[in-house]
Amino acid sequence: MKSNPKAYKQPKRGRGIYGGGKHGAGNKGSGQRQNFMRLGYETGNNPFYLRVPKEPYYKGHHLKREYPPISLLQLQTMIDTGRVDPSKPLDLVALCNSKLFLLSPLEKQFGFQLTDEGLDNFKGKVNIEVQHASEQVIAAIERNGGVITTAFYDPVSLLAMRDPMKFFISGIPIPKRQTPPEDAIEYYTDPRNRGYLADPDLVALERFKLAQKYGYELPDLKNDPELAMLLERKDPRQIFYGLNPGWVVNLKDKKIFEPEDEKLLEYYKT
Amino acid sequence: MAVLNNLSCFRRILINSSSSRAYLSGFKSSITLEKLYPSSRLDITTIPKAPESKDRKFSGYIPMDKIQISYARSSGPGGQNVNCVSTKAEIRFHLASAEWIPEPVRVKLAEKVKNQLSKEGYFIVKSDRTRSQHLNLADTLDKLRDLIQSTAQSLVIPEISPETVERQRRLHERAARERLREKRAHSMTKQGRQSPTLDS
Repeated sequence: MKSNPKAYKQPKRGRGIYGGGKHGAGNKGSGQRQNFMRLGYETGNNPFYLRVPKEPYYKGHHLKREYPPISLLQLQTMIDTGRVDPSKPLDLVALCNSKLFLLSPLEKQFGFQLTDEGLDNFKGKVNIEVQHASEQVIAAIERNGGVITTAFYDPVSLLAMRDPMKFFISGIPIPKRQTPPEDAIEYYTDPRNRGYLADPDLVALERFKLAQKYGYELPDLKNDPELAMLLERKDPRQIFYGLNPGWVVNLKDKKIFEPEDEKLLEYYKT
Repeated sequence: MAVLNNLSCFRRILINSSSSRAYLSGFKSSITLEKLYPSSRLDITTIPKAPESKDRKFSGYIPMDKIQISYARSSGPGGQNVNCVSTKAEIRFHLASAEWIPEPVRVKLAEKVKNQLSKEGYFIVKSDRTRSQHLNLADTLDKLRDLIQSTAQSLVIPEISPETVERQRRLHERAARERLREKRAHSMTKQGRQSPTLDS
């Protein structure tokens, strides 16, 4: 039993008249003495790999944050089909619980951004919290009497938020949310972006300005029956609505434990 | 670790409905908004008073209830989308009775756009620049605001200092003197080309 001769190459052993002798290294010189010049060396002149400048295509790619998009059209469809409950504040947890969107924080995804596809037909009144939204999207939400906030979550918090049940089962205390990194602080403290760290009075002014820019009458939220729901916001250190950092949720016994130690309380509060 | 048996006390306790301060669900850290902005009222629901357009200055505020907005289908290529979706935005208002534009600006504007007014005196601004109705509406408002602002600017007479007036007068006088000097020199040249007469 033998394959055809051309099926594979016979190994060349370094012995005998065909593979032996000088072992393919030639006569004298740096070649036979195995003292080669480094790869790319061009015997003294400026080598190609140094002469031609490199384009840093992927510089800092490991530091760039990604925000997978959710369009206004998708949001409207979710509200219409009941995948998401607009009578409660919507945040990353609510969007992930719909099981239509999944976040992978390990792949530098830091949350969702609201995009403007379906801008003209958006009619939902929601209190939504996303990680990024453009001006016309903010206008579309506020035009219908809703409230939009942009908030930052660090990857540890995101891992807890994207599957809360799994997180509670693990028995880890709820972490405290970290503040945004330096290059994101400006975004989240700007009232124009409705940042969660911006002054609410300035946000009110920006709401008015945006209504003037996009040509709609700014709805008076004070007369809204759902005022309390629309104004509900998390503390900058909070991850889940109604749950404080440091608490441990026990789903089996339906109990919540909080720390008693002063140092721990101090840690979770600062 | 303390057990929170009575979960209801940590449920969201609704604030009294007259207050519209941002509601926080009980947890207050050291970087809560109250601590970051101690002098703020923390109220996003306040609607500020519209800036007034006084004297000859236009504040930029356009009252939405005083203008009529309508949508139509845009022109140009685009297949089913451009044929079916009303993306062109149009705003119209009666220019003579627009109280929100200051009187002198209104008069100047009426003069400027008198050929564009409708028979009843309505001024119309349209836009079908983008694919979105709302963005087109923003564009029309931008155009209108720009127009009114440029009209208001043209009415402003800039104050000229007495030094500048004096300098301008001096320059004019010098220019006139130069012109007359050149004129006289040219005249002499022309006279020199005439054939001399027996008298001179």
